[in-house]
Amino acid sequence: MDFLIQLVTDPLGFWSSHTLLISQIAINSILASSMFVVLYSGQLSLAAPGFMAIGAYTAVLMDIYLHTPLALNIATGTVLAGIVGIVVGLPVLRLRGVFLAIATIGFIEALSLGVILNLPITGEGLGLKNANADPLGGINLVLVSLVVIVFLLWRLTKGRLGYAWTAIRQDELAALSQGIDVPRYKLIAFVLSAVLAGYAGGLESHLNFFVDPNEYGVPRTVQVLTFAVLGGSGNVVGPVVGALFITTLPYVFQQAGDYIGIVSGVILIAVIIFRPQGIVGRGGFAFVRPRWWPTARASAPSTG
Amino acid sequence: MLLRLDNVQRHFGGVRAVDGVTLEVEKGAIQGLIGPNGAGKTTLVNVVTGYVPFQSGSAWLETDRISGLSAHRIAGLGIARTFQNIRLFKDLSAVENVVVGMHSRRPDDTLAQLGTLPVFRRDQRARLNEAHRLMEAAGLDPGEVAHRPAGTLPYGDQRRLEIARALALQPRLLILDEPAAGMNPSEKQGIRELIERLNQEGLTILLIDHDMQLVMGVCTRVAVLNFGRKIADGTPEEVSTDATVIKAYLGTGSEREVSSAPGATGVEEVADVVKAAGRTRSAAEPATAILDVRDLSVSYGAVNAVRGASLRVAAGEVVALIGANGAGKTTILSALSGLIRPSSGTAVFDGIDLTSAKASTIVRHGLVHVPEGREILGRQTVLENLELATWARRDQTAAAAAITAVMKRFPILGERRNLRAGTLSGGEAQMLAIARGLLARPRLLLLDEPSLGLAPQMVDEVFGAIEEIHRDGTTILLVEQNALRALAIANRAYVLETGQILLSGSGDDLLHNPAVRRAYLGG
Repeated sequence: MDFLIQLVTDPLGFWSSHTLLISQIAINSILASSMFVVLYSGQLSLAAPGFMAIGAYTAVLMDIYLHTPLALNIATGTVLAGIVGIVVGLPVLRLRGVFLAIATIGFIEALSLGVILNLPITGEGLGLKNANADPLGGINLVLVSLVVIVFLLWRLTKGRLGYAWTAIRQDELAALSQGIDVPRYKLIAFVLSAVLAGYAGGLESHLNFFVDPNEYGVPRTVQVLTFAVLGGSGNVVGPVVGALFITTLPYVFQQAGDYIGIVSGVILIAVIIFRPQGIVGRGGFAFVRPRWWPTARASAPSTG
Repeated sequence: MLLRLDNVQRHFGGVRAVDGVTLEVEKGAIQGLIGPNGAGKTTLVNVVTGYVPFQSGSAWLETDRISGLSAHRIAGLGIARTFQNIRLFKDLSAVENVVVGMHSRRPDDTLAQLGTLPVFRRDQRARLNEAHRLMEAAGLDPGEVAHRPAGTLPYGDQRRLEIARALALQPRLLILDEPAAGMNPSEKQGIRELIERLNQEGLTILLIDHDMQLVMGVCTRVAVLNFGRKIADGTPEEVSTDATVIKAYLGTGSEREVSSAPGATGVEEVADVVKAAGRTRSAAEPATAILDVRDLSVSYGAVNAVRGASLRVAAGEVVALIGANGAGKTTILSALSGLIRPSSGTAVFDGIDLTSAKASTIVRHGLVHVPEGREILGRQTVLENLELATWARRDQTAAAAAITAVMKRFPILGERRNLRAGTLSGGEAQMLAIARGLLARPRLLLLDEPSLGLAPQMVDEVFGAIEEIHRDGTTILLVEQNALRALAIANRAYVLETGQILLSGSGDDLLHNPAVRRAYLGG
């Protein structure tokens, strides 16, 4: 509770004492947005940590061996994640539902066993030292990135692309009958998701003096999926709220100590039972809006 | 010529779903496509719209070759379709459903809308206005339904919304797959008027429906499929008097006994067979009934599938329940066996109330349902399927004897006892389903469409088996779309139309009743 009290009574002090936490929330939020894009197009892809690892390792390795500037390092990692996204996406996107989930977990495992844990250049599983990391200085870049990404995704979901994704998510066969090139739009979503994850990985590596291979495995993917499910994946804000919620939970319930796992588990179950569409439903913040708030559309009487 | 199909083929394994169909649809026409269940109509539509790949043959939309293209390309070229079992984007609002339909003719605005919000707003307003117009054209009130999630709309409105969404493609050809299925007569009239209005505005329509009154009334030409082949093509008058068509629809009494003389209607021939069998039949409802159903109504959400049906079955009878697709036959059987609950009415079987008893209790009392589509366990062997049916019995020696007995009755099952049930042919699978039903020791056996999708020879065998079971003392309530065949073995029959009992009487009387033919052919 001290955490929330400080946030209200002393925002500036909160900002300076929790800089790293705020950055981490923002990075998790970008990851959650990456998950949002695939879920919004109806694909249960769990590949995000893999692309994140590509972004992180590429950026740090470039810094170590080529001494190139930070912006170029992160950009290269992001682009590389996108390219790998195309290569992985083309075959894998023929799969649906839980089969796609398993295939993408396979991708994470293959990347982890084949590259991260095995090659001398990636430290053979011991991780990489990142001497030029800047844990506190990155916060502005991270926050601006998050705002821009959420804005762009919000715009995208409102346009032709967003309609196509929604149609595919709701019913692939019906989407085909409306002239929507389903494989193409699925691939676009998958690659965009890979790019966002790669970017988040690059940013995260810049905040840590050590790139830890254990960060990019299946537990991370489960965490990111939880952000999206808890926040709700029908609206771009949902996964961000989910990331904020879950990342701050241990701080809000500091007194819970080692029992934090139980507390967050109970909260998760409660949300899923009482609000299965997520904290933020499809209608944005309709749920937190008071009853008397003017709504844009006249509510039709429900006779169904 | 707008659409031209040339020798289109599509086989699934050994099943010739579409077997060399050649069809031409003229611009501005309303072309009907009819045929009994399993004739290949929907498969043909799926091939033409790219959902199922072409096997051989070709298809052209005016000068565009569409065979071999993917479904979204074909939609983009201007073939819009609706689906037999409505496929709306259920969680999207009605108006959003229609906006999705504009996808293929909407310029890619992805980059534009990231920056130029006002332009996007203006375009979006234009799209919404157009969507409202299309909904009005399909007979919906946009003010009422536009912002409701599509899945919450009444059934008839969902059908109309699917048409509005299809119109958003600005199609050259609109394919309607059973648009009037499950509708009551006044809703059907509305659909009919809608189809006529769209056609007057210049749209070419390919209409598939089981409602003959609708098809014969609205179409300029009608093609008939049976077993994947086109058996007739012409004006509604030509088609509805065509001997092959009548035979395909009403079924034949028996391939062995009925000559297929040209010009024969089929009805008289079967009547002769029935007379030859020389059974006495009473048209009156029995005074004492083992099954007594009164004013039974069943609804699925907004659809009233059965409306106030009453029927009685006496011990030892074979009673047939006939009627066109969607008439409510299967729904009645499901309500009797406790799989779905009626909304009103009573149904009593041997003293137990079927409207409230558990499905397992109903089976224990001897009312056994052999469902449409058989529902056998494909990965288990024939013997295992039969053994599962006796699983609940205490006396396993008696159970083994019962299994031996049904294998004797159906020798083909004895021969195939160790084969996986999934490898059986349709007729053999039907035998297995009936055998499994018999092992539940029925006093009343409900048979749902036992001849569905079977070749004529197999139909003979299945009906032979049904007659034998009846001779051994089991009462049977039979639902069948092969009406003549069912009437030939039934003591009495009920004709069902859009959820209501239209007629009842002895098999003989109904065979000669013009209303029966109308219920099937709409003539």
